[in-house]
Amino acid sequence: MIAALVREWRLLAGPARLGLVVLAALASVAVALGLADVAATRADIARVVALESRETQAITGFAKGDAGEFGYYRNYPVWRAPGDLAFLAPTRGDAVPAVMRIRMLALEGQINDNESANPELLLAGRFDFAFVTLYLAPLLLIALLHDLWSGEREAGRLAALDSLPRARQRLWSPRVLLRAGGVALALMVPLAVGGLIEGTAPLRLGAATALVLASLLFWMLVTLAIARLPAASATQAAVLAGLWFAITLVVPAAAHLAINAAVPLPDAAAIARENREEVHAGWDRPKAETMARFVALYPAYRDQAATGTAFAWKWYFAFQQLGDQAVAADSAARDAGIARREAWAQRMGWLLPPVKAAQALQRRAGSDVAADLAFKAQVRAYHRALREYHYPYLFGGQPMAGADVAGAPGFSSPVLARP
Amino acid sequence: MNRVGAIAAAQLRLFGRSRLAVVALVLLAMLSGIAAITGATQASRMAADRATAQAAANTDFANQPDRHPHRMVHYGTYALRPLGPLAAFDPGVDAFAGSLIYLEGHRQNATTLGAARESSGLIRFGQLTPAFVLRVLVPLLLVFVGFAMIVAERQTGLFTLQLTHGANASELIGGKALALASVAGVAALPALLALAWAAAQSPAEAGVAALMAVAALLWLGLWVLGITLVSARARSAQSALMALVLAWAVLVVLVPRAAAGVAALAHPLPTKAETDLIIHQELRALGDSHNPDDPHFAAFKAGLLKRYGVARVEDLPFNYRGALSAEGERLTSQLFARHAADTAATQMQQHRLLALGGVISPAIGFAQASMAGAATDLASHIAFLDAAEAHRYRLIQSLNGLHTYQVRGADDAARNKDPIAERQSRISARFWADQKPFHHAGPTMADRIAGMLPGLAAMLLWAVLLLWQLIRSGRQEQP
Repeated sequence: MIAALVREWRLLAGPARLGLVVLAALASVAVALGLADVAATRADIARVVALESRETQAITGFAKGDAGEFGYYRNYPVWRAPGDLAFLAPTRGDAVPAVMRIRMLALEGQINDNESANPELLLAGRFDFAFVTLYLAPLLLIALLHDLWSGEREAGRLAALDSLPRARQRLWSPRVLLRAGGVALALMVPLAVGGLIEGTAPLRLGAATALVLASLLFWMLVTLAIARLPAASATQAAVLAGLWFAITLVVPAAAHLAINAAVPLPDAAAIARENREEVHAGWDRPKAETMARFVALYPAYRDQAATGTAFAWKWYFAFQQLGDQAVAADSAARDAGIARREAWAQRMGWLLPPVKAAQALQRRAGSDVAADLAFKAQVRAYHRALREYHYPYLFGGQPMAGADVAGAPGFSSPVLARP
Repeated sequence: MNRVGAIAAAQLRLFGRSRLAVVALVLLAMLSGIAAITGATQASRMAADRATAQAAANTDFANQPDRHPHRMVHYGTYALRPLGPLAAFDPGVDAFAGSLIYLEGHRQNATTLGAARESSGLIRFGQLTPAFVLRVLVPLLLVFVGFAMIVAERQTGLFTLQLTHGANASELIGGKALALASVAGVAALPALLALAWAAAQSPAEAGVAALMAVAALLWLGLWVLGITLVSARARSAQSALMALVLAWAVLVVLVPRAAAGVAALAHPLPTKAETDLIIHQELRALGDSHNPDDPHFAAFKAGLLKRYGVARVEDLPFNYRGALSAEGERLTSQLFARHAADTAATQMQQHRLLALGGVISPAIGFAQASMAGAATDLASHIAFLDAAEAHRYRLIQSLNGLHTYQVRGADDAARNKDPIAERQSRISARFWADQKPFHHAGPTMADRIAGMLPGLAAMLLWAVLLLWQLIRSGRQEQP
């Protein structure tokens, strides 16, 4: 078998060998870029966290223990720490921030903030390992396998080759194995090296490798099925290129249009305005009314809710929360709609196995829509924990000492390393 | 020339007999039709939604009750990025650039919304728009239709036979190219009709739309020339097809992404969170409004007292708190403007690096030219951000002016404790209605056309190179 593979490698035409080398090089560059991106994202997060703690020190200087001042001025960093497969499809420079700062005011006006990314680069798409696997590797596989039989037929050798004893085992299988195996190796070696550098858990690295292989297997079977047909090699190449084109470009783009049309979302601009109206109306409403509505949410503060005519921070933060409360249902409906759109896209993936493999890779990389939504949910829960940490100081009136400031809940990044 | 026409007509009849070509053309026409209709309906709906949201934000602001002006500084308003009629043809960066900014005092907010954040992950596979059809789908269709047109005749000996019968190689090649160009014209027709329809919505856009059509035809012309050239030079139909599909994959799919990756690496952008934190740091160094002994604000106060010849701020002929707010806003906004300019400059560096990539792949040049013409490119987005920030600053300083001259200092000082002072510190609602609402007309026509030029130049360069090679091919043919 080894001898047969060596023979097939010797028989492989120069352009085909070059194709394998170029694919391996592109996959390596994609992995290297991914690793660099992931490292840069971690550095971004670390810098923001460090700068924020200096900012908190400065606030401690003028807040003088006033929980309201802390609540108003202090920001808390939240982030999406890249997982150990993030280098396959990194998110640096996405519209969704990898790190952001939130404060105790109404969250609705903060949680949808975009990163100051360059939209032109996002439009072009990313050059990452998922891209090389989905788009480039199948093209090379098609180029290497489509004329397996027709090429020999057109050279007048097919009948002679097929008449060899055990032609299937001795000739065709090693030929397919070498060519498909070459494409697989060109992807798997860079992937494995990337995994080693990142210290990826072996099982997760194995799962990512299996996805890559499954995608290649699909294309190999499709290509061999077409190659079996008694047609000219040029026709086979055209049909396969057309299939590749439909599966990776046309159908997903058309499905995107259909899904967005089929699943409407609540108007986000209207939600933002309603949230602001509700918050700012707080200034004009009687304080007692605001506090009564807040106490209905947090009965524990019933006895501490009374205010005078003067400004009071507890009243200020009460109407901030009522603003979020007013749009909570709409906002949740919007996130649910986005999740529904993604669920349809995932369902469509089952019809197009290579698309499914790409979706699964993005999921493991933590750069899919579900990861965005999970991050949002995590930020909402964290914002709630922050508020509830501050309420006893705001309502009880005791000052926030140094230990109280340091004791505020810290953000723990959502685990993006999902199965 | 007549012979070229006759050759082209014969070739077109051959195309018509190829089932593959006809099926592909029909499929493409359907996709173009879907792209054109959804593009038009989506763009007009989005444009209307944004106009409605802008009007609602303006009305909300104008209808606020009597208030203290600083409440209005915090109430703020919204700016929405308008969408021009040609976005129906090429929405460009629209899906990836936030379309809404909340404008308020003390802060320069991030954009929010954007289709990329409210769609499934499929949006990364590309959006089916008329511009996408022209940039990605039509070239591959032309490859499938035209790859064999010369090389197949050469393989069967027909090409040589025609030459020995007195046909001229240049005329043969020219005729084939003309036939393929007609197919390109037919294939591009639905997308170009979408462009014409979008332009018809607003006659002022007709000129730039015509130039965009020229860019699209130039782009497809490159493919006609390239396919004819490869088909004339290839050894077999199969190798011609492989070379052309490879060229398509590299030029249309690979290089634009790789160039974007290189641009991001060469000119890294800081995160918004880090920029905000650095602004806060710089602000403390400039003048810390929380520090009663801050040298900057102490000097500001001393300067005012001296200019008006009074000893206490209470004796100033206006409300000192309003003046202080205006000074604080001036300081922060200076920093916002500088950092926003830095971010925009980095993004434009990335854009120019991509434009340079247009020399390697004219697909980048075509995409940039098309977006610039449709006013959906990066420069248009930056122009919107600048307009929004300019509006924010003007509005907030106007409100600070009202705070300074319409609210009595004594009322202002007592408003948190004294209900009467609080009532007197509110000023009439008519002041809100007097504020000019946000309006952004988008980039000027001259800017849009200037933005198209680098892409057009890259494509012209390619056209000249391919044409030169094709003419050489024609001359080298021996019967």
